[in-house]
Amino acid sequence: MSTDKQTITTDSLVKLRKNQPRFEGIESGHRACLGCGEALAARLVTEAAGPDVMIANATGCLEIFTTPWPESAWRLPWMHSLFENTGAIAAGMEAALKAQGKPTKVLAFGGDGGTFDIGFQALSGMLERGHNVLYVCFDNEAYMNTGIQRSSSTPHAAMTTTSPPGSDRMGKRHLKKDILSIVAAHHIPYAATTSVAYPSDLRKKIRRAMEIEGPTFIQIHSPCPLGWGHDGEYSIKVARLAVQTGLFPIIELERQEMIGSMPIRHPRPVTDYLGLQQRFRHLFNKDDARAVEELAHIQALADHNIKHYDLRGDGMDRLDSDGADTVRRGGMRWA
Amino acid sequence: MTIKLTRGSYALPGTTLGYKTGTWRTQRPEHRHSSAPCHTACPAGEDPQAWLALLDEGKPREAWELLVSVNPMPAITGRVCPHPCESGCNRGQYDEPLAIHSVERFLGDEAIAKDWTYPVTAPPVQAPHVAVIGAGPAGLTAAYHLLRQGLQVTVFDKLAEAGGTLFTIPDYRMPREIVRAEIGRLLATGIVFKPNHELGRDLHLRELQQDYAAVFLAPGAMKSTEWNVDGVTPNDLHDGLHLLKRWSDVASLPEMKSAAVIGGGNTAIDIARILKRNGVDTHIVIHSSLPDPDNPAADDMRAIPREIQQALEEGVRIHDHHGVKRLILRGEKLSGIEIVRMRKLPDNKGRLHRVAFEGTESILHVDQVIPAIGQKIDPTGMERLLTGSSHFKVSERGQLAGNGNLYAGGDAIEGNGGTVTEAVGNGRVAAEAIAAALRQEKLPAITAPEPISFESLNMEYFEPARREEQDILPVQERVGEAEIEHGLSPLQAAHEANRCFACGNCLRCDNCWTLCPDSAVLKTQELASDGSFYVFDYDYCKGCGLCAIECPTGYIAIASE
Repeated sequence: MSTDKQTITTDSLVKLRKNQPRFEGIESGHRACLGCGEALAARLVTEAAGPDVMIANATGCLEIFTTPWPESAWRLPWMHSLFENTGAIAAGMEAALKAQGKPTKVLAFGGDGGTFDIGFQALSGMLERGHNVLYVCFDNEAYMNTGIQRSSSTPHAAMTTTSPPGSDRMGKRHLKKDILSIVAAHHIPYAATTSVAYPSDLRKKIRRAMEIEGPTFIQIHSPCPLGWGHDGEYSIKVARLAVQTGLFPIIELERQEMIGSMPIRHPRPVTDYLGLQQRFRHLFNKDDARAVEELAHIQALADHNIKHYDLRGDGMDRLDSDGADTVRRGGMRWA
Repeated sequence: MTIKLTRGSYALPGTTLGYKTGTWRTQRPEHRHSSAPCHTACPAGEDPQAWLALLDEGKPREAWELLVSVNPMPAITGRVCPHPCESGCNRGQYDEPLAIHSVERFLGDEAIAKDWTYPVTAPPVQAPHVAVIGAGPAGLTAAYHLLRQGLQVTVFDKLAEAGGTLFTIPDYRMPREIVRAEIGRLLATGIVFKPNHELGRDLHLRELQQDYAAVFLAPGAMKSTEWNVDGVTPNDLHDGLHLLKRWSDVASLPEMKSAAVIGGGNTAIDIARILKRNGVDTHIVIHSSLPDPDNPAADDMRAIPREIQQALEEGVRIHDHHGVKRLILRGEKLSGIEIVRMRKLPDNKGRLHRVAFEGTESILHVDQVIPAIGQKIDPTGMERLLTGSSHFKVSERGQLAGNGNLYAGGDAIEGNGGTVTEAVGNGRVAAEAIAAALRQEKLPAITAPEPISFESLNMEYFEPARREEQDILPVQERVGEAEIEHGLSPLQAAHEANRCFACGNCLRCDNCWTLCPDSAVLKTQELASDGSFYVFDYDYCKGCGLCAIECPTGYIAIASE
């Protein structure tokens, strides 16, 4: 075993950074936490969407950590909207570009708080009016930016600062909102979920949505090491387990019809996923009957997802939950 | 500089690149090269993952060149090596180990078919001259590496043809035309070969030591260990090695209907299989046990398990845990042997010794008994080096103790398992030691690197894939000399190369580059100085460690700062 010290000068690093064989809409130097799933997800989105876009970005971590005044990590036209009006701002941008005859695509970025809760009305209006906007929701399942408060995206039984476990409750009492079905119910051409653990899937779906004229919606499961209580190094591992357990189904809907899903090759027990995160640690007290029941409840939710979306794989599939992240020498996998 | 935007607001131009998030870091990722288990397991010192990588990139010739920079006879070892690399292969803990030996053979055969030239340049005329005794695998490998080290070399052999022990391996597993082809090409690299030169008759050790800068002794162990039962032998006794040579030279065997081969090494298995092919009812009597692939034990037969398996398939009967108690002679001709069950058991002091169990005797009706219980050096011309021992005692770099410029390797040295691959390894190591000694350099002690463990790899990023097996002749067709295993097709070899995990080395898979949330991994166009295709930009790396966890091959390590 030998550790190879790299011998590269700062000058050539700067040059190298400018000559990377991919488009990066977000530069280094942003202030996201270590192992931030959202920072990775946002970069992957800009990579797939390309440079000819404009972004409306709701208040949230992504907005905060990319734009510490007076700097910006964005290499794209980008506008900060309020928590509640990203849909409206994006719709206005799209209408203005349309009036000018410009083909630039408008992207709207929001966290789960800005999408599921506060910005929901504006999103619904944007979808209903049929604007040509790709709305991307970076779903990290709580208000992380303001101090880990529960959102309607927070999964059942998770601990947040506003859903603490105690004598009365075992974390959040309610269920995670099924935003995809609600969005799809606007009868939009394309709505899909994806995960940072599967970059190829993520980029494929972004490219697909970019090609569609009309409102499209993509929900990206993006772990938050601080809010979920795991080391930053495990962000991808945790995200992958959410998919492999069935707790975060990867599906695609066109006009409300399910047209595709990522099959799960070997469904894993939900405890594999929950056990890595401090927000579920109260569920692992074997002496507490409520904890045992909640674990069984979450397993039942996963089983229900697998059945409802027919996620159980049929043998080995190149694009299932085990095949979709396969690597090859030379980097062929990351299409 | 400030830019006026609108009334009341202004901004400094610039991106977040001005802010070095690397200052947050308390630990850093580093590229860490570890040895793959196939590399540490190889007696010849090959690094299979490295040449498999080149083959996977579609560069078979470069793969072969890298292979023969260590082992110059891949077509031979690819056939006869017991391939400990595959036992070590991490992929064995996932689905099935890589068929490394089949790919090695494929590359060796390709090189012969396409006449790829060995990466050797002619040594300068004033270069020191080294003598090699014995043109078997150890001697030829040493000669080749001496040449590569810029030395002149002459190989002497007492026989008319180079190859040594390779010609005692039966054709069905080591065709002689392959031996001739590979060795012929090897000799053509500039090795001076002098056949029919016998030590003690045409050559003398002292003169050689004076005339040459160094001497490498690789005479092999071509003399059978004597055998008898209580001092008795049949009058027409032939030992296994003698019969193998005779079969190899003139393709004839003594008249016999049935035979008992005594011994459990490769010579015993080889001669038993040849006898079986010639219609002889063949038994092997061996006091150790048949190997169980799932449970290897110290008491296993020494022959290569694959060969034992094939011998059993072909109908050779192996009486394991048996010894010969008595020869049943009619006059001086054998009519049978009495065998008895035996076990190795500890005595009161814990020392193992063989115990024969009374009441378990049985008779094998055979008309020949063929001992193949071991081989030793023919000491002619080297008597003074072998006082009181049957093999040479050498240092880890092959130097004969107390004999300055004398080195030895191959079957003739103590502690070797008698494989071609070990001989190749001895030859290379000794050649490097000789070259260093002649340049008056000191070589560091040989260290055995710890191979990277299966647990250090990330299996999420690999998919199960079937191991390509070489086609093998069905048992009923294994009658003549025809080689029973066929080589892989180019497609099969490429498939195997693609299965390699590249343990401990950069797979260039883009995982770190794709998954870094801070874009602190940069991709390089050319191979970076540390052997990867990526560099860490420590100005921005926050040290989260995600790349290390997600590196499929365990090539990224986290070091504290």
